[in-house]
Amino acid sequence: MSQGEIIASFLAPHPPHLVYGENPPQNEPRSQGGWEPLRWAYERARASLDAMKPDVLLVHSPHWITSVGHHFLGVRQLSGKSVDPIFPNLFRYDFSLDVDVELAEACCEEGRKAGLVTKMMRNPNFRVDYGTITTLHMIRPQWDIPIVGLSANNTPYYLNTKEGLGEMEVLGKATREAIRKTGRRAVLLISNTLSHWHFHEEPEIPEDMSREHPQNMAGYQWDMRMIELMRKGRMQEVHKLLPQFIEEGFAEVKSGAFTWAHAAMGYPEIPAELYGYGTVIGTGNAVMEWNLRKAGLSMLDEPALA
Amino acid sequence: MTVVSAFLVPGSPLPLLNSTAPGWGRLASAVRRAGRSLAASHPDVILVYSTQWFAVLDQLWLTRRRSTGLHVDENWHEFGDMPYDIHADAEAAEACVAGSPTVGVHAKGVDYDGFPIDSGTITACTLLEIGTPQRPLVVGSNNLYHDSATTEKLAAMAVDAIKGQGKRIAVVGVGGLSGSIYREQIDPRNDKIHNPTDDRWNRQILRLIESGDVSELRAALPGFVQESRADMGMKHLHWILGALGGRFQGARVHDYNAVYGAGAAVIEFTL
Repeated sequence: MSQGEIIASFLAPHPPHLVYGENPPQNEPRSQGGWEPLRWAYERARASLDAMKPDVLLVHSPHWITSVGHHFLGVRQLSGKSVDPIFPNLFRYDFSLDVDVELAEACCEEGRKAGLVTKMMRNPNFRVDYGTITTLHMIRPQWDIPIVGLSANNTPYYLNTKEGLGEMEVLGKATREAIRKTGRRAVLLISNTLSHWHFHEEPEIPEDMSREHPQNMAGYQWDMRMIELMRKGRMQEVHKLLPQFIEEGFAEVKSGAFTWAHAAMGYPEIPAELYGYGTVIGTGNAVMEWNLRKAGLSMLDEPALA
Repeated sequence: MTVVSAFLVPGSPLPLLNSTAPGWGRLASAVRRAGRSLAASHPDVILVYSTQWFAVLDQLWLTRRRSTGLHVDENWHEFGDMPYDIHADAEAAEACVAGSPTVGVHAKGVDYDGFPIDSGTITACTLLEIGTPQRPLVVGSNNLYHDSATTEKLAAMAVDAIKGQGKRIAVVGVGGLSGSIYREQIDPRNDKIHNPTDDRWNRQILRLIESGDVSELRAALPGFVQESRADMGMKHLHWILGALGGRFQGARVHDYNAVYGAGAAVIEFTL
């Protein structure tokens, strides 16, 4: 078995508008484009991922919400039609994906050993959520790399941000240990928007970019503050500010993916590459990469610290 | 009378998926019993609101005449599939789309193959035997930004819109009571309300509903919502109140039970 490696993580937001704007054959609705700066950002992220040659992509999605434990996709092949419940006019996508069940089971087991409630999802008729699918399509439209899908347990909302993110940290460390033990070369995908203030009505033409802008100034300013810290590699400050960002910027990182990924990476104090930023119905979205391989921090040769 | 019957039923799919658990089985039987009462009221249309159909942009109404598929609950996938074949009254639903701006709400119809009908709506349809060609639905979404007053206005508007088509209406609110749940695996045979405070609140709210004292009920609801994590601020109850013009004579509680610690009841309103 090869040595486990977390090559990188990407902040890879999942507005279905980006798939809609691209007009891939899998998506039924047709658009006149739109959200180009974000889609071009994803083009650069795709090129970077392609060079990494990972064995597996792990994605933690806020749109698979579970209340009893953290769940993992556990069926080798899943396919179907994913229709976005919020934007069915934009996203009706035929998906087909392969799951790395061995790694998913290892994540589930390591999470259980760390004290979390965990569960494998074994139902072959399960409809994968649109957050997972959008993030995966935008980062790797070829769908040729197996994936591990993790649910977002609702602890941050049911209890509070601190306890919830604490649980996501445990999940991240368990994920790291599972990757180490299975010898995978993995990339982690944070399927999150930043500030999540959004408009409450959709323009007549959804891709009319003359109507697109940050929903409010506070959300935009928070996004810029956090992105700037990430670009400089001041990640400890980012994690310290996260609860305030969540509170004041209504940030979707509350759902846990960001904390999960950074805990899995061992909280590296390295600068992120910003591929681009843009708004979607007013929400703030950044495509960013933390490349552990380039930083010489990717190889997992020791158990995660408790 | 345009509204001929009204019911509040649980949205959790567990009573449908695993009725061998005693409490869940009793709830399933109670919903089936309520379904027989609903059928006996001879409605033309069932006006449904499920707390689990989330919307954040606009108010959505199901305008697809027939929705079929196989649903798997995102939490309870291990208990199996939920096949559905739901018929909607598209003309009545379109009237609701058109009428929503009159109460200040922008609305849209949803008519897409494969649209993810929520677990609550499917559970209610299956157990109540509604959403059939004989008893088609008009279903409105739960816009997470709508408060109880907006929800009541939308329900009242829907009743007016459907009444304008000369149809008899049964109203169904789909959702739970207290919302505290067990967050670890439990043996369903040992399920009970999560804590005594929630149980007291649930019983108080049920007594007030049974009494038909709407002003006392309205006075109690904010405390219930605050202290017992009541399901979506009890907007499914507000939907019923809006549809009934804020009045009912009393109610029969067919069953009250726990679903993974949360409160659930099957209520038939006396009009």
